[in-house]
Amino acid sequence: MRKTWWRHVGVVAVLALVAAACGGDEEGGGGDGEQPAPADVTIIHGTTDSIVSLDPAGSYDLGSWQIINNVMEGLLTIPAGGNQPEPALAESCDFDDPQTYTCTLKQDVTFHDGSPFTAEDVVFSLERNINLDDPNGACSLLGSLAPCAEWDAASVEAVDDSTVTFHLAAPDATWPFILTTPAAYIVPSETYPADALQPDDQMVGTGPYSMAEFRAGEQIVLEANPDFHGEAPANERVIVTYFDRSSALKLAIEQGEVDVAWRTMTPTDISDLEGAEGVEVLTGPGAEIRYLVFNLDFEPGSELAVRQAVAQTIDRQAIAENVYNGTVEPLYSMVPTTYAGHTDAFAEMYGETPDPEAATQTLADAGIETPVELEIWWTPTHYGDLSADEYAEIKRSLEDSGLFSVTLESTEWDQYSEAAFTDQYPVYQLGWFPDYLDADNYVTSFYSSESFLNVHYENKEVDDLLAQQKASTDQAEREQIFEQIQQIAAEDVPIIPVWQGSQVAVIRDGVSGAEETLDAAYIFRYWLVGKSA
Amino acid sequence: MSRPTTALRTYLITRVLLAVPMVLILLTVVFLLMRVAPGDPISAALGGRLSQEEIDRRRHEAGFDRPVIIQYAEYLGNAARFDFGTTLIDNRTVTSIIAQNGAATLELTFFALLIAVAVGVSVGLVSGRFRDTPADLAGRLFGIVAYAAPVFFLGFLAQLVFGKWLGWLPTSGRASPIVSYELESRTNLFVVDSIISADWDSLIDVLEHLVMPATVLGLVIGGVFIRLIRVNVLQTMKGDYVEAARSRGLPERSVVWKHAFKNALVPVITVMGLQVALLVSGAVLTEQTFNWPGIGSELVRYLNNRDYIAVQGIITFAGLVVVVVSLLIDILNAWVDPRVRY
Repeated sequence: MRKTWWRHVGVVAVLALVAAACGGDEEGGGGDGEQPAPADVTIIHGTTDSIVSLDPAGSYDLGSWQIINNVMEGLLTIPAGGNQPEPALAESCDFDDPQTYTCTLKQDVTFHDGSPFTAEDVVFSLERNINLDDPNGACSLLGSLAPCAEWDAASVEAVDDSTVTFHLAAPDATWPFILTTPAAYIVPSETYPADALQPDDQMVGTGPYSMAEFRAGEQIVLEANPDFHGEAPANERVIVTYFDRSSALKLAIEQGEVDVAWRTMTPTDISDLEGAEGVEVLTGPGAEIRYLVFNLDFEPGSELAVRQAVAQTIDRQAIAENVYNGTVEPLYSMVPTTYAGHTDAFAEMYGETPDPEAATQTLADAGIETPVELEIWWTPTHYGDLSADEYAEIKRSLEDSGLFSVTLESTEWDQYSEAAFTDQYPVYQLGWFPDYLDADNYVTSFYSSESFLNVHYENKEVDDLLAQQKASTDQAEREQIFEQIQQIAAEDVPIIPVWQGSQVAVIRDGVSGAEETLDAAYIFRYWLVGKSA
Repeated sequence: MSRPTTALRTYLITRVLLAVPMVLILLTVVFLLMRVAPGDPISAALGGRLSQEEIDRRRHEAGFDRPVIIQYAEYLGNAARFDFGTTLIDNRTVTSIIAQNGAATLELTFFALLIAVAVGVSVGLVSGRFRDTPADLAGRLFGIVAYAAPVFFLGFLAQLVFGKWLGWLPTSGRASPIVSYELESRTNLFVVDSIISADWDSLIDVLEHLVMPATVLGLVIGGVFIRLIRVNVLQTMKGDYVEAARSRGLPERSVVWKHAFKNALVPVITVMGLQVALLVSGAVLTEQTFNWPGIGSELVRYLNNRDYIAVQGIITFAGLVVVVVSLLIDILNAWVDPRVRY
């Protein structure tokens, strides 16, 4: 009898095991291990970014936009891995003509506070951003509607509750891309004040997450929005934890105190983590660039031959390998490789590697005596602690050619940020981070005769081409124009592109989905990230 | 009796009145330092993205280019009303920073002070009692090294050994993110809040996060106490009343612990108060090292962003704390010691 009894228990146990093994997984973030339901998953995300304001009208920095991108939405968005705007709060959008853009809005969408999303909220949000003209805000991105502080009521029309028409001040093919930026994100007109910024702990949007807790400088807790109109997040909750130093963030990801570390760790930290146990380093395309600027009012940079010789001599590969341990790649155009319309114009014209012989010839043809005395400015911390090494490398490569004698000068950003744009530096370091995912942001900003750079570069052909691409809604035509602009820019060389950064995230074992969000849009989409047990 | 009381009252009133110009000098120095240094929050954040014309326009709209004397008068007027202003970069009131982040610093410095006293008193006592022995030498050496070693160096070392190599303790933050979120916050002091909530798991988590930074900072302050206690013990051991106790046939242990030790501790109370300044400055570095979200961390962040309103407010608050504590210590000293008079 006893033997029979144990047999029964054994059979039941085996059946139970088989049933458990065959049981379907709840949909989680994807991954090879057992996937807890999203309801059980909390992702801890560590970053060294900081928050300026969680109000779209009060911020123009990546740290703030990162949270806004996960809690709020615009009419359009850049999907993961994509590079063209797609509908978000809009059902569809299109140009009626180059200055008129109409969007049909999604129905039955509600804000986190339960108020309905309508066309009135779109008008309110944009009007508010422009009128508030916050010193830290990005109202300047909405310049196609109206200048900051000078709202034009005719610029945005709520045709009905679910239709909005934008009447642009001038043809602007980049307008759909502008609508993907937090500057154009939608806030509830019933909740947000028209004449002041919303407190950070009271942000309300329509996005996949709502804010559960805000502790300034410490952490932000986001909870999945059960009423989100789009794809449900792969987790229940995200806790964004803020670190003052990259070394602390590195320790935290190593020790498992955070699940994901994104922005910003040094190349040394990243190299160290690549061999570490329990973590995986993910890389993806970036759009952050560094470049060297010539103020054309200063000698000898005012000489075209000098600029071209520098372009022929600078050793981008050495910078990428020796200084940045391969976390950046050489850049041969001011338009990053990840953007439609990019060409390697500088590589085609000057070669990918230093060519001192060609540079010697260039200077000789122009009758310029060598070595050319060149004063180059850089700033120690704003563009990362490796700027010193980067510019030492630039100095080395220029002087090794025998054609240049380089004096390096530096000053902290407080002085540098004003001096660089007020005709005080002849040649200097700058960096750029995209506002929106269109090559226009990289050409108009730098090559227009009204460029913020103030380097006195004026080329009417370029200005005409810039206006032409902005007025064209034909993407193929625009890309051709971008190619022409890059070609001319390489010939004139007011600016030399140096490198383009990759995007790096470090994840703990068991975390999934993060690689899908590493794209040139620079949005870390928390809703894609899951975690196995 | 009336003459000593009058002298004490005179001393107290004079000390309080002297605190006023001290505070005014502090406010003025902080204001001038921040104004003299180049840069402003808008240039710091948006320089290199917007044209200089646009940046100048925004600076003008924000009032950064108003005459310095007008800004100074406004600043003093607000300070008199305990309105330390609103930060420029993230629109937080300085008062809220003090309340939220100040609680984190208070928690850190309180436990650091406990550790400092525990370590300083015990090691100093042993050193003084067993003068010129290996125990004395070890104690003195320990005190010097603890005091001289930069707090961030000790912090990094502790993180490496106890965090990375041994994996015993977490390396950053006040608590795990989830605990930090779920703990019911009534006082912003996590230890107190977890006790009030009877949330013992959270208490353990909070204490685990507190151990390293508090010990590191406490050791630095403790180094000061070690030397002071040792010197005081040596002096009191030479005192007449100690000889008298010995001559009455009391055991040596009783002579040391019941007589000499108690008197050796009296000046420590004064020194403890004076170490507040050292605690606050040490807390800045400790908080940076351990990602501790105190006012020290916030001060550095606002400095880096050239937010002079925030920096003024935080430094003024910290300075006021030091002034008030020094004043209280002086008053206590005057009350205890009749020789302390003007």
